[in-house]
Amino acid sequence: MSQIRFENVHQRFRVIRERPDTLREVFVRIFQHQKNYHLFEALKGISFSIENGEVLGIIGRNGSGKSTTLKIIAGVYRPTAGKVTVNGRVAALIELGAGFHGDLTGRENIVINGLILGLTRRQIKECEERIIEFAELGDFIDTPVKQYSSGMFMRLGFSIATEVDPDILLIDEILAVGDEAFQEKCHQRIQEFLKRGKTIVFVSHSMESVKQLCTRAILLNEGNLVADGTPDEVYTKYGEILEPSLGKKLEVLC
Amino acid sequence: MLQFFRETVRYRELIWALALKDLRVRYKRSALGFFWALLHPLLMMVILTIVFSTVMRFNIDNYAVFLVVALLPWTFFSQSLSYSAESIVSNGELLKKLYIAKSVFPVSAVLANFINFVLSLIPLLLLLVVMRFPLHWTWIYLPVPTIGLIAFTLGFCFFCSAANVFFRDVAHIIQIVLSAWFYFSPIIYSLDFIPERFYIFFRLNPLVYILNGFRMAIYHGGLPTIQSAAMSLGCGFICFAIGYAIFRKYEDSFVYYL
Repeated sequence: MSQIRFENVHQRFRVIRERPDTLREVFVRIFQHQKNYHLFEALKGISFSIENGEVLGIIGRNGSGKSTTLKIIAGVYRPTAGKVTVNGRVAALIELGAGFHGDLTGRENIVINGLILGLTRRQIKECEERIIEFAELGDFIDTPVKQYSSGMFMRLGFSIATEVDPDILLIDEILAVGDEAFQEKCHQRIQEFLKRGKTIVFVSHSMESVKQLCTRAILLNEGNLVADGTPDEVYTKYGEILEPSLGKKLEVLC
Repeated sequence: MLQFFRETVRYRELIWALALKDLRVRYKRSALGFFWALLHPLLMMVILTIVFSTVMRFNIDNYAVFLVVALLPWTFFSQSLSYSAESIVSNGELLKKLYIAKSVFPVSAVLANFINFVLSLIPLLLLLVVMRFPLHWTWIYLPVPTIGLIAFTLGFCFFCSAANVFFRDVAHIIQIVLSAWFYFSPIIYSLDFIPERFYIFFRLNPLVYILNGFRMAIYHGGLPTIQSAAMSLGCGFICFAIGYAIFRKYEDSFVYYL
């Protein structure tokens, strides 16, 4: 059974030209039969599946639908058409610390964030100490997080999201968390995930990290899936899309 | 309906934690902390009692008790509504990044205020003791209006939290509607004060039946009519069913408007 499966998935957004934030504007619009939006199709029917233990890189230019795909896997968007199946617990390293509440301490936030990610209270108690240790927060753990530096904030977010033992890990862009030593720890942790046979979906512009980590890559272009294969093959294709001449250069570089 | 109970049971720990968080944040950094939950209704009661029994001279015995038995459920209703109307919008950043059942937010806002409501029964009991007011056996009827009140409140909160995602005016409109609703409900006065030709108008207000249940059981020491009891439950559940149905219908598109 594949862990993630996309079947002919479409995702349409209403791009609002001018946001009707007030009732008055809405009424005016209804009476004048104006449409204040146009439809933008971010994904135009893509199909792929990811097997257990695969590390998939999604590459493509800005606006090609990479982040939309991640958010559909995370369950944030329900696709406009098509079918998506996701088996297992998903943790997203999309924006770290998204659910933090400034007035609560780090410890209190661990509990709430853990519950949001689908853990029970008991499971959180079990991994609480490991989270604190990994985030290198020390005594700050009982300080309200609004007093944290942005680095501390991100470290705590990363450490919660990866400590909850997800089956599927979603990573958006390069993880620029903390100083070099901490980044090294992050990379180690991702390597651990790989060793334990977890599924990872990775969105990045960095060719190097995709090649290093991924077993497979797909290329999106303007909402279509245009290539699916090993990172090397897909990067060759990516080069062709970017610019035929640049593609040659990339090949040489690779 | 079934879906609601399934989600609520599944996310019970999160709902509870969020409700406690709401309360903790509300009282954090105030010297009296949780005491405010007790103090607020007492102070409101003192103010309204002074105004309506000394200044306006309503001819009602034990006005403080008369007032507070309706004021407490009302406060639960109005505070829940104010808090939950913003609940989806204020958690927008989170909902844009992770999947969580959206009903968790309005439900936890209602739960936080329900905890507040239960805590505010302590000053009510103190008041009864101080005033040597008898504790009637009819207290056992209280679960009926309480259930009606919770269902009614949840329904409204679901509706308003969803509507506020699409029209941010809703949160402001609610404040106006609530203050009108307060004066058009028998909280500071009794239904007897109303000229008969306006009765029909009050009969359309579901809160009348619910508040009447509280007042009958605690203040009058009697039981409301069967019709009134049925109305308080019926209105509660109808409101819940409608509010929740609307919420479910639109919850998938919230994320595009946050």
